[in-house]
Amino acid sequence: MSELSTVPAGLQPPLPRDQLVLRGELEDERIDVDVLFVGGGPAGLAGGIQLARLVKQGKERGEEPGEITIGVLEKAGSLGEHSLSGAVVNPRPFRQLFPELQETDFPFRTPVHREAIYLLSQSRARRIPTPPTMRNEGNYVASICEIVRWLGEKAEEIGVDVFAGFPAGALRVEGSRVVGVRTVASGLDREGNPGSNYMPATDIAARVTALAEGSRGLLAQAYLEWQDIESANPQIYALGVKELWETKQPLDRVIHTMGWPLPRDAFGGSFMYPLEPNLAALGLVVGLDYRDRDLDIHQLLQQLKLHPLFKPYLEDGELVEWGAKTIPEGGFHAFPQRRHGDGVVILGDSAGFVDVPSLKGIHYAMQSGMYAARAIYKALQRDDTSQESLAEYDRLVDESYIARDLYRTRNMRPAFKRGFYSGALKAALMTLTGGRFPGRRIAMDSDAEAPRYATGSSPFMPDGKLTFSKVDAVFKSGNVTRDTIPSHLLVGDTVPAELATFYSHMCPAAVYEEVDGELKVNPPNCVDCKATDVLGPRWTPREGGSGAAYKRM
Amino acid sequence: MAGVLVVLEQRSGTLKSVSHEVLGAARTLADELGVEVHALAIGPAGLKVDGLGEYGADKVLCCRSDELELYQASRYAGLASGLADANGYQIVMLATTALGKDLGPRIAAKLGAPIAGDLTHISGNDGLVVMRPVFAGKATSTLKITSTPCVLSVRPNAFATGCVARDGIVEDVSPGDSGAGAQAVTIAVKEPEKAVLDVAEASIVVSGGRGLKEAEHFQLVEELASALGGAVGASRAVVDAGWRPHSEQVGQTGKTVSPNLYIAIGISGAIQHLAGMRTSKVIVAINRDQDAPIFKVADYGIVGDLFAVVPRLTEEIKKVRGG
Amino acid sequence: MKIAVCVKRVPDTETRIKVGADGRSIDEGGVKFVLNPFDEFAVEEALKLKEQSGEGEVVIISMGGDSGQETIRTALAMGADRGVLLKTDAKPVDPLVTARVLASEVEQGGYDLVLFGKQAVDDESHAVGPMVGELLGLASVSAITRLELAGGKGTAEREVEGATEVVEFSLPAVLTAEKGLNEPRYPALRGIMLAKKKPLEVKDVELDEEGMVVVELALPQSRKEGRIVGEGPDAVPILIDALKNEAKVI
Repeated sequence: MSELSTVPAGLQPPLPRDQLVLRGELEDERIDVDVLFVGGGPAGLAGGIQLARLVKQGKERGEEPGEITIGVLEKAGSLGEHSLSGAVVNPRPFRQLFPELQETDFPFRTPVHREAIYLLSQSRARRIPTPPTMRNEGNYVASICEIVRWLGEKAEEIGVDVFAGFPAGALRVEGSRVVGVRTVASGLDREGNPGSNYMPATDIAARVTALAEGSRGLLAQAYLEWQDIESANPQIYALGVKELWETKQPLDRVIHTMGWPLPRDAFGGSFMYPLEPNLAALGLVVGLDYRDRDLDIHQLLQQLKLHPLFKPYLEDGELVEWGAKTIPEGGFHAFPQRRHGDGVVILGDSAGFVDVPSLKGIHYAMQSGMYAARAIYKALQRDDTSQESLAEYDRLVDESYIARDLYRTRNMRPAFKRGFYSGALKAALMTLTGGRFPGRRIAMDSDAEAPRYATGSSPFMPDGKLTFSKVDAVFKSGNVTRDTIPSHLLVGDTVPAELATFYSHMCPAAVYEEVDGELKVNPPNCVDCKATDVLGPRWTPREGGSGAAYKRM
Repeated sequence: MAGVLVVLEQRSGTLKSVSHEVLGAARTLADELGVEVHALAIGPAGLKVDGLGEYGADKVLCCRSDELELYQASRYAGLASGLADANGYQIVMLATTALGKDLGPRIAAKLGAPIAGDLTHISGNDGLVVMRPVFAGKATSTLKITSTPCVLSVRPNAFATGCVARDGIVEDVSPGDSGAGAQAVTIAVKEPEKAVLDVAEASIVVSGGRGLKEAEHFQLVEELASALGGAVGASRAVVDAGWRPHSEQVGQTGKTVSPNLYIAIGISGAIQHLAGMRTSKVIVAINRDQDAPIFKVADYGIVGDLFAVVPRLTEEIKKVRGG
Repeated sequence: MKIAVCVKRVPDTETRIKVGADGRSIDEGGVKFVLNPFDEFAVEEALKLKEQSGEGEVVIISMGGDSGQETIRTALAMGADRGVLLKTDAKPVDPLVTARVLASEVEQGGYDLVLFGKQAVDDESHAVGPMVGELLGLASVSAITRLELAGGKGTAEREVEGATEVVEFSLPAVLTAEKGLNEPRYPALRGIMLAKKKPLEVKDVELDEEGMVVVELALPQSRKEGRIVGEGPDAVPILIDALKNEAKVI
């Protein structure tokens, strides 16, 4: 390793808060709803469904507030197209939200009966015992795209208005109160001028705005920063790159791996899950506090596929989809001190409800949406959507299994900040003591503050059969973003060659390239994974329907 | 026995070569079915219909009137369906051209007949079975036609011309009532002003990529395209770099092209580019890197320095075209 | 001005086509369905004409299964007034069968104009529009890229190989829209909200027997292996020879 290091934080532009938190009168042409969920993922949709059910049941009993309108805004062209997860899903909130349905009615693929964890070296895979936190008996392999589409149908059936293709670009505020959002205009040309099918941004006024934007939610970040809401540790993230393969050789179990091809100072691992006898999901997840400037997660996933553990399944198969997404990994100590305020609540991944040791977030996201629905329902009954009134939401979460589970594993991910082996030892002790070891919070820096050391990248030639270049991968994400829209990425004024190289490896979608020491940006390639927002140029939403179009990720 | 009626196409009194292809397809089918091929030519008074026997027509029905010089949809449809009705043709065939796409369905509707268009394969050996591309060429549908009469429209460039010559006796057909009072009349055909040939429409496309190194070198691509009478295309990389306008971009987020000849110069061949041009009939790749993915879809490739290869190619093309 | 727009629900053009278990249709698993892109031009043109004349009604008509309602709602969200779903679970491949059902619906409506997309991007038939025109005995022009209406008459342009035909016609008429006719609008948020409350009538329809059946749906064979004809400028004559005599493209 070279002595020279780069710290990404230094050159990261600040959050453009002036654009994200807007005061002033809402436009006359605004749309009014009672409750708006920003983000049509598991959190927003489960919240919408739960709220609509509470209202319906209340109305049958003759309770206030009677009729209310519930909207869900989604930036993807249609529901699920920006949703990506592993995923092995805990069905708990499904049972609670749909007590009238059978387990077989839920949008899952296969129950987990067999699972195995391996420690990989370059040429070998050693099976190791499955830690209790990672056991998945009773859980299901599923595609989050399918879950989200299914939830969307349920939401519309019960009268929730789902608006896909409309990203929220800014919070509308009055005093300290969130009064709605403003969508993003579409039909702009590269210079930002309206084109022939220009559609201006629209204000949506809501009595309660629920921010369920997913990982690294932009408006959630803006709200927390604007209201000076801190957390014990900064939120940290991992980036997952995932592929969906049609395989000739059926996969009969859930696989997780640790070790190769990651360097010892990086935290992460891979997974392979069977969805159908001949359809498998495969991915690699790496904490974004990795130290190697030239570490490239997409490329590592390509190399992983050539490992003898995976290659036999993939050979003669076909890559059908590719995608990437960040995961909030900070856990309990990265929870914002409050996840509610005047007219606003923050749900799911945007609030950091992900348990890293069990690799799960979907059921926490849904559950948080359902708790928010309960709190909002009561607030509407009282006709009081103030911070005090919505504090009920935080109470419900804090008393629930969301907080309990994440408290138990609060120091596990931080333990790995000094590398894999010491981390694994500490994690084992934590498991044995039920989270009581080491007692104190392990302090963390944000990912962008971790220094990066150049190691030099090894050239990698994809073969187009098992391994693919980033440009080809982006094609497989279904990304058909118009090439002529304005850039949505806020890049620092001067980007030294060092950092351009770092960005080019960090971004899995070839948005950044280093050409002759200069940074070249290809915004349309972006699949909204948000890694750039964590470590580099800031991400802002583009016109609706841009980005990936995942089908079964 | 009157079996197949082929509706021919003309422009300014001269039959189009695509009509010879339809005759070729009709002849093969008619031989399988053991029936005759009759051709229907509709056009101006000076319409030339000699020698159609050589393309397989047993008889040529010729309907000449200056009112019929331009394509008059309802009159053309009335004439063709009237003859099909009167003479009991089992099959009416035409080409899937702008005219055929409009006329075929009208004839089918008048005859109460099924229609299958854009056919790439026809067989009469075991019932009437046809093949046609569907889903933008991503799949091929094989259909069995179960009722007659029927209308078949064949894809240009998919069937060969030429066969054993037939008599091709010409018989005049009355143009019928004049077009006065028709609900729709074609009043003019505008020839395009000398405009830039659109990459999506051109039958030959020459595209350049990052291998050209700088915008000025695109002149090499332009010169080759002009020698071939083709259009200029560009990869996304060079469009993003601002070397070329977006209207020239070939690929998934640009235009999808399927010319007869596609020449890729200095284009490595990312999947998203291939998605926009892989249905081209013949693909030529010129690239320095012999491992470039473009060679996997190319029919012909030259590995080498494009700055040496392309000028030579342009020169040779000029010789071929000039001579 | 009363305008009918006939639309179809089709797989998104980016869809990867997979043949279903019956070997005759596509596997619809994971397929996203959309309003046929050419029909979007027809809807847009209808909305523009209504806006220009300041009065009238745009009615969206679709034939197909229940899911067709979603497609109709997309057009209603763009601004159309109401919808009619001619409901059938059959998916006819014979365009005449579809044309007859649509013609009979349109005939009852007293429309000044009936618009179609020039073709659906699934079966690529480009037949139903002109067929409806003939069945109803109305003027029709297909694949238009330009339209002007005035005083019960219209002028349309259609692209033909290397030229443009100019057609004059009388109303009522059937027109099919080609890319280039206009730039379809995106549905606005307000439009989507309003669309949910617009009337959408569902009528069961009976189909005639088809004159053709699908025997097989297959993916095209992959291209035959190409070849490197040589290296450097010396390979040019070999390439010219191959293009001229083998591929016959120059």
